[in-house]
Amino acid sequence: MAQPYRYIGKATPRKDGLDIVTGESRFVDDLKFERLLHGVVVRSPHAHAMIKSIDSAGAKGLEGVRAVLTREDIPDFKYGNPRVFRLLDRKVRYVGDAVALIAAESEQIAREAAGLVAIDYHVLPAVFDDYEAMEPGAPQLYEEFPGNVLPLGDPFLGQKSMVEIRTGDVADGLSEADVIIAGKCGYDNLPNPMPMESPRVVASWGRGVEGRDCVTFWISNQAPYLMKVILGAILGANLDVRVFGGPCGGSFGSKLMSWQPMCYAALLSKNTGRPVKVVYSKEEHLGSFVLRPSSRLDIKVGMKKDGTVTAIAGDWLIGTGCYSQTTQAQVAVGCGEAMIALRCKNWSVKPKIVCTNRTASGIARGFGGQELKCALFPILSRGMEKLQIDPLDFMKKNFIKPGDGYLWRDAQWYDYRGISFTAMMDRGAEVFGWKQKWKGWLTPTSVEGAKRIGIGVGVHGNADVGEDVSEAYVRIDSNGSIVVHSCLQEHGTGQRSNGAKVVAEVLQTPLEWVSMTPADTMVNPFEFGPFGSRGTYVILGAIIRAAEDARSKLFEVAAPMLGCAASELDTADGYIWAKSAPKRRVRWQRALFQRTILGYGRFEPDYSLSNCLMSFVEVEVDTETGNLVLQRVVNATDVGQIIDPQGLAGQLCGCLGTAGIDSAIFEETILDSSTGRILNANMIDYKWRTSSEMPTIDNVVFQTPMPTHRFHAIGVGEIATAPGPSAVLMAASNAIGAWLDSYPVTPCKVLRALGKVGNAGNKQRAHTARKRGAGD
Amino acid sequence: MKTFDHYDAHSLDEALGLLANRCGKARINAGGTDLLGLLKDGVLPRYPELIVNIKTIPGLGYIEEDGERLRIGALARLCELAGSKLLRERYAVLCEAAGAVAGPQIRNVATVGGNLCQDVRCWYYRYPAHLGGTMECARKGRGPCFAIKGDNRYHAILGGRKCFAVCPSDLAVAFAALGGQMTIVSPRGERKIAVGDFYSPLGNGLADDEIVKEIDVAKAFGPGRQRFLKFTVRKPIDFAIVSVAAVTEEKNGVFANARIAIGGVAPGPFRAEKAEEKLIGKKPSEALAAEAAEAAVEGARPLSKNGWKIEVAKALITRVIGS
Repeated sequence: MAQPYRYIGKATPRKDGLDIVTGESRFVDDLKFERLLHGVVVRSPHAHAMIKSIDSAGAKGLEGVRAVLTREDIPDFKYGNPRVFRLLDRKVRYVGDAVALIAAESEQIAREAAGLVAIDYHVLPAVFDDYEAMEPGAPQLYEEFPGNVLPLGDPFLGQKSMVEIRTGDVADGLSEADVIIAGKCGYDNLPNPMPMESPRVVASWGRGVEGRDCVTFWISNQAPYLMKVILGAILGANLDVRVFGGPCGGSFGSKLMSWQPMCYAALLSKNTGRPVKVVYSKEEHLGSFVLRPSSRLDIKVGMKKDGTVTAIAGDWLIGTGCYSQTTQAQVAVGCGEAMIALRCKNWSVKPKIVCTNRTASGIARGFGGQELKCALFPILSRGMEKLQIDPLDFMKKNFIKPGDGYLWRDAQWYDYRGISFTAMMDRGAEVFGWKQKWKGWLTPTSVEGAKRIGIGVGVHGNADVGEDVSEAYVRIDSNGSIVVHSCLQEHGTGQRSNGAKVVAEVLQTPLEWVSMTPADTMVNPFEFGPFGSRGTYVILGAIIRAAEDARSKLFEVAAPMLGCAASELDTADGYIWAKSAPKRRVRWQRALFQRTILGYGRFEPDYSLSNCLMSFVEVEVDTETGNLVLQRVVNATDVGQIIDPQGLAGQLCGCLGTAGIDSAIFEETILDSSTGRILNANMIDYKWRTSSEMPTIDNVVFQTPMPTHRFHAIGVGEIATAPGPSAVLMAASNAIGAWLDSYPVTPCKVLRALGKVGNAGNKQRAHTARKRGAGD
Repeated sequence: MKTFDHYDAHSLDEALGLLANRCGKARINAGGTDLLGLLKDGVLPRYPELIVNIKTIPGLGYIEEDGERLRIGALARLCELAGSKLLRERYAVLCEAAGAVAGPQIRNVATVGGNLCQDVRCWYYRYPAHLGGTMECARKGRGPCFAIKGDNRYHAILGGRKCFAVCPSDLAVAFAALGGQMTIVSPRGERKIAVGDFYSPLGNGLADDEIVKEIDVAKAFGPGRQRFLKFTVRKPIDFAIVSVAAVTEEKNGVFANARIAIGGVAPGPFRAEKAEEKLIGKKPSEALAAEAAEAAVEGARPLSKNGWKIEVAKALITRVIGS
């Protein structure tokens, strides 16, 4: 449905585009500071140990070292959910856990000094497997969490949070079913969200303008205001926290868990009286930062011949590593997302979060729902196969439609007020050629020698498109230039340019008239940050309201000049006129003489809408080598109204990496089961797709107006990674004619599924597979 | 990375003198694509005090035929091998192997000598120092081989002993199939060693004071076929999980000569002599190729998680011979 928009839906240049391609953008590492020190972390070699003593004399004696801080030198900062994880503790809980902090004149000196800190440990037994962690006698990570089980619920979500999926009566539901599948499946290969730029920060602790202590952070993140809230809570109330969010080389959610490097830099700065930069190496990024949570399902599903799901009941185990910051929230959102994807009257899914001796899990695109559904869909596939149901028909039938509802993260029931996505799914299938290619379950689309083609499909939807609060000001200066006050940091999606774009559309000005404030918490109102595809509806929603408010205020000033009511006015290109007499115009500058207009916009959460993305994948599997090649992806979605076509295409094509589709193909974190070390903490052994191996990606984008903001758009970026992994598992299973139910689909697993590699000589592997309960 | 001295050598003698003077505390550097990573990660048990740059030594980058032999200077870059007309026409397996290494940026600086002498990719051996400290293992002179009980999905299925890391060099496999030999110089003079004999489970055969000067290959026999196949998870960048180089010659419709080397499965390139024997005197066919493949991996003893590499090796050999 074409709207007569001036900018919306049209390709417009990104405001930061020229700076990025010419290298002018100032990322954290490009910022210049006088007397800057470099901070590094001394990390534990043990997965679980008590620190008996630390001798830092050697490190302190090295020329150029300005501070060596241990637990005793710093305040007892704690964070996490629950708030028990210490910045520096007497106990280390994973290989790479922080033991001491060093600031020196150069990173090289600091790293060398790190090697000179002598630490005496009392090594404790460690546990790495989520199931083993819950067994009696397992090593205990925290006194507070007997059995290594963390409480559910997240105060960030409000007074209540979703701690299980429970509706109807599963016994009734199972009794109605034509087939009952009992199955186990894990999505537990711990892929890394992997922003290109590793975590980094500069902190400067000093006296603020009014004499209060003040710490200023320059961050590479996606949520400066939220970081201010988090850091304020950790660092204490008697301190001003100011955060600058500059351009960010990707986050994919993960960098919201940056309180540790930020506090390291802040404390080193406080101690030395100088600004301190902490930059994680790629190895630290991969080996001591955020992984996707592991997810293991053990459930029963009832299904009818027509594809109706009558009941889903069982246990969902989520592994969070050494602590949780957001895992409870991911569980809450994941539960809701399962209900959006599957209409089912009878649910009883009980989540449990367990901690183990590895680096922490946290935010990654797909936030809980990807984790749950990547384990759920392969189990559902078994039921569909038994009943000979085409998975496309199943997903079309069961994805949420008007008249349905779901429990969301706050455990409240929401009646869905969005649209049906069925026509969009049909069009996606047509572009992909699903009908021609689908030959039935466990049947390849085609066979040529050892190479077999298989297809699969997945779907995802998320009601976080309307989550949390955003605020913005739109300021019109006396010269007519427009400034948008938003604490939106550019993390790669182009959303800051879209902020300016919607304001230019509302006020009908040239794009160049509109600029954004830097993402500085001192000058901007509250902004939760771009998470959960909320940018389009929530962040832009607040900015649009602020622009509309500014427009109204401008009209109120101009109305007497034109001798009519403000409501009768219109504006474009810096002129205002009455709609009834468009020839008589007043220039903005006249209305703005010695005046600034300030519009305010606020968005209150709305969980009654969902986005939707369906991904179709085609893979080629070599039955002799076990190799899998992703040949083609078709993503189908409905975004209501395209705001930024290139940005949208970028988000949809981002379905592959960053713990997305490739988490079913080769992305995984390999944890050594005896030492707890991450063995592939580098970009050769962590298999990350290179740009020279891109499959064909086609995107089908519908524009059915959504009941959101003025432009009826909805965000979809965050979920681009979510439908693909289970689709790949389905496609690979169909290609080889045998079930694959473990991520990623490595050559070894393919050859084993084909019976070409026995368990002889692979005993350990077989043991693990049994524990994970692969198969039904 | 720690501080070290850096010296540009202008002759082999000068470089050898510097190595000898530092008694094992100096390392030579050519393309640097392997050494710098090792230094950055603090992996080496002995951190060098001196880096001797040998790129500045003139006249070691040749690729030429000389009488009965092909001679390649140790400083010839991989991009030069991959693009060499001479190699493409007469030693295609070298061309293909060089072109299969990493990506263009690496091939533009990496050298033949460096490719043959690069360190293993074992993830226990390479575990970075700043992430909790390196892992002391058998290859470093103390400790166990962690791969035996650990995650050995990419480790050796043949010939491992004490250490189960595999030789990561693609060129070593091609040279082994061609019967190439290395000329190694030291203050004691020159010695020659077959590329296939250069590697042992605990390291290659280069002493602290030695430098590889040249690799030479007997002129390829008759109008034969040469092929190199490499199996990786990702096409570019990755090291071989398994690779195969085959040099065969047919006369009167039967195999007259065959030399097959397998990479990624053993501490060095593994010469599949049993497979070669199967082929000689027989007519090429897919069944014969499969038979040779079975023979090639006879005696393979996989660890707990790498049995699948046998299947991959068989598939590659079948394809190399059968196609």
